[in-house]
Amino acid sequence: MALLQISEPGQSTKPHEHRFAIGIDLGTTNSLVATVRSGQADTLPDINGQHLLPSVVQYTGDGVLVGQQAKDNQVLDSQNTISSIKRLMGRGISDLKMLGDNLPYVFAETDSSVPRIQTAAGDKTAVEISADILKVLKQRGEQTLGDKLEGAVITVPAYFDDAQRQATKDAAKLAGINVLRLLNEPTAAAVAYGLDSGAEGVVAVYDLGGGTFDISIMQLKQGVFEVLSTGGDSALGGDDFDHAIAEWVIAQAGLNANDLSAGTLRLVLQEACAAKENLSEQDQSEISIKFDESKTWFGTLTRDIFHQLIDPMIKKTLMSCRRALRDAEIEKDQVLDVVMVGGSTRTLRVRELVGEFFNTQPRVDIDPDRVVAIGAAIQANALAGNDPDGNLLLMDVLPLSLGIETMGGLAEKIIQRNTPIPVSKAQDFTTYKDGQTAMAVHIVQGERELIDDCRSLARFELRGFPPHVAGSARIRVTFQVDADGLLSVSAKEENSGVEASVEVKPSYGLQDAEIEAMLKASMEFAGEDKDVRSLREQQVEADRVLEAIDSAMADDADEMLSEDEKVAILSARANLAAARHQAKDAQELKSAMANLETASAGYVARRMNASVQKTMAGHKVEEFNND
Amino acid sequence: MPDSIFSQNYFEIFSMDISTNPDLSVLNESNRELQRLVHPDKFASSGDAEKRQAMQKTSLINQAFNTLKDPALRLQYMLSLKGIDMNAETDTTMDAAFLMDQMELREKISEVRTHSDPLDELDAIAKNLKKTSANLIVEFDKYFQTDVLDKSREVVRKLQFINKAQREVAELTEQLEDELL
Repeated sequence: MALLQISEPGQSTKPHEHRFAIGIDLGTTNSLVATVRSGQADTLPDINGQHLLPSVVQYTGDGVLVGQQAKDNQVLDSQNTISSIKRLMGRGISDLKMLGDNLPYVFAETDSSVPRIQTAAGDKTAVEISADILKVLKQRGEQTLGDKLEGAVITVPAYFDDAQRQATKDAAKLAGINVLRLLNEPTAAAVAYGLDSGAEGVVAVYDLGGGTFDISIMQLKQGVFEVLSTGGDSALGGDDFDHAIAEWVIAQAGLNANDLSAGTLRLVLQEACAAKENLSEQDQSEISIKFDESKTWFGTLTRDIFHQLIDPMIKKTLMSCRRALRDAEIEKDQVLDVVMVGGSTRTLRVRELVGEFFNTQPRVDIDPDRVVAIGAAIQANALAGNDPDGNLLLMDVLPLSLGIETMGGLAEKIIQRNTPIPVSKAQDFTTYKDGQTAMAVHIVQGERELIDDCRSLARFELRGFPPHVAGSARIRVTFQVDADGLLSVSAKEENSGVEASVEVKPSYGLQDAEIEAMLKASMEFAGEDKDVRSLREQQVEADRVLEAIDSAMADDADEMLSEDEKVAILSARANLAAARHQAKDAQELKSAMANLETASAGYVARRMNASVQKTMAGHKVEEFNND
Repeated sequence: MPDSIFSQNYFEIFSMDISTNPDLSVLNESNRELQRLVHPDKFASSGDAEKRQAMQKTSLINQAFNTLKDPALRLQYMLSLKGIDMNAETDTTMDAAFLMDQMELREKISEVRTHSDPLDELDAIAKNLKKTSANLIVEFDKYFQTDVLDKSREVVRKLQFINKAQREVAELTEQLEDELL
């Protein structure tokens, strides 16, 4: 394997200066550790010569087992043996449903928003379980290198949000690892691939792992790996292929998943996974499962059926590819190479459909399991200072837009997705009630307009600024995203200088009892109820908007508006008033509101300025600084 | 040189002349060269102060890069160099015909779901917006070159409207795509 012999020219390390650093690929299914020695990057084996460490942890009464042994015990001790824990990283209890009912674990009753799995060794969070995997990898690194580690680069899916990244960093901390950098998996893969092949130009990295999917469009040039855009799905991977097959098997056997024990479910999943792997070699795969003493089921999974089961999921990944290309402003024919990464790209159907989509033969000649760890090791080596004159530079982007909640449950984007990081951005907001002296800032991540459709990252409060007329306080919120893709936020009321700052910790949107109730409700109701709810919300919002514009225009329409503007605003107002009662869905009402907003944008800004002047008039500036 | 970036304008940071239509390949190249010098990865084993500085510098360069890459942001920034703040909406009378066009457009967008092929229709709208945007940039250049700043400003305001509509079209496209799955 050519990849494993990457040497970096110009790497003149004096032995006594060399600092040991490792790259860790903490995967959903398997994990790896790699390092650069004598200029060569390679993954490290365990004492049995195995490079892949199954990401499975078994908790027993007297200890922790990680890896193959734990995996072997999975069917027998399914409740204490945890696999695919990466899927729960940075997730809240409310997310469990979304991840499917296929988790064969018992979750502890808890007040906290973080799910805890009951095991023989006590309740464990995803962070703790991941830390146990990381400890084994760290130990492997130390034993092989025979020295203390400077630190590690740990890879994460590019599409991981802030909460998932933070959870990964927390797990490393718990494992006693100094994190040099969180590195996006496709970027790591591109580094290994690019240095190995010497390719220059635009490359697409298609990374389908056990539980996550990433697509990154990158520009490779003279050692610079520049991510142009990234997209994906942090809850879609080869595991889902297994689940789809398992569901098919259970249905074919005339059974119901709810009636099966955790051990049996695990067994069906293992057989499903085996069948999937067989289909990379054969046209069909025989499956036999012993459900109990009296019932053994035999069946045949053909490629046709398999394709029917997984095609919708692959199509979903291609939608992400289309989006990433659009964001990068790159046409398909400009893509030099499509690099296939992640164990799930072994599935032939994936290669076939990806090849069709990009209209090119995807690159499958690199080891899809190891390439990420190797890229991480190369960056770890550079970050540890072993390559001071090196050309290597990784420029990455923010995968999901960051924003804050504004009136009416809408998300105002502050930093758009695919902005290069690190980046900082300040934005001014204002109060909406007279005399308001505090403001809650709710930070979200995601692309949708409605707060409910985005991921809640954190909430904090800014208090004690002096009362102003509605719309005249100026609250400047500064977002800083570092090179790990992690966010910190500070906020300041500009007139008074009152400051608040938070390091963003995952909130899961659940701290607030009200929101928890809302989320529960929204999960229990069907989609139609959700539509009704969002129409209601928009109606409330429409009432507020109508009231605000009427009261404003009653005040000062004549002095502040030209005839043209007045006509435009009144006509948009009339349309909104009609839509308030007639609109059948929230979207319709929202666009009527947007129209009014467009028509009155200049007016609102002028009023805000006038209001500031009025507030300040007759006061000394110092008065605003007290309190 | 990288230390001086805090006192330079965005064009100067990349050693470029102020221009409505800068050469993007030069911008890209210059960006890569700068990042090689200041990116936080180059200071991973330095002290905290140096690390912080690297992050601030790179953040600024990224912001400058983003601003110059995006036409609406770039033009707005060029006006700010002339002391014109687009956010301070003082004398904003928008020409009524343009506003009406915008409303019609919004109506079109909001009714796109009733169209026989909504994604096609959105594509067509997006293409139109792109054309409008390109025309506005040409118009801006004409005014800006001759220092007719109030007109330049009006063009940028229009461009901002177009930009917002473009974002909405893109978002709606994604939403419809999701629903199709």
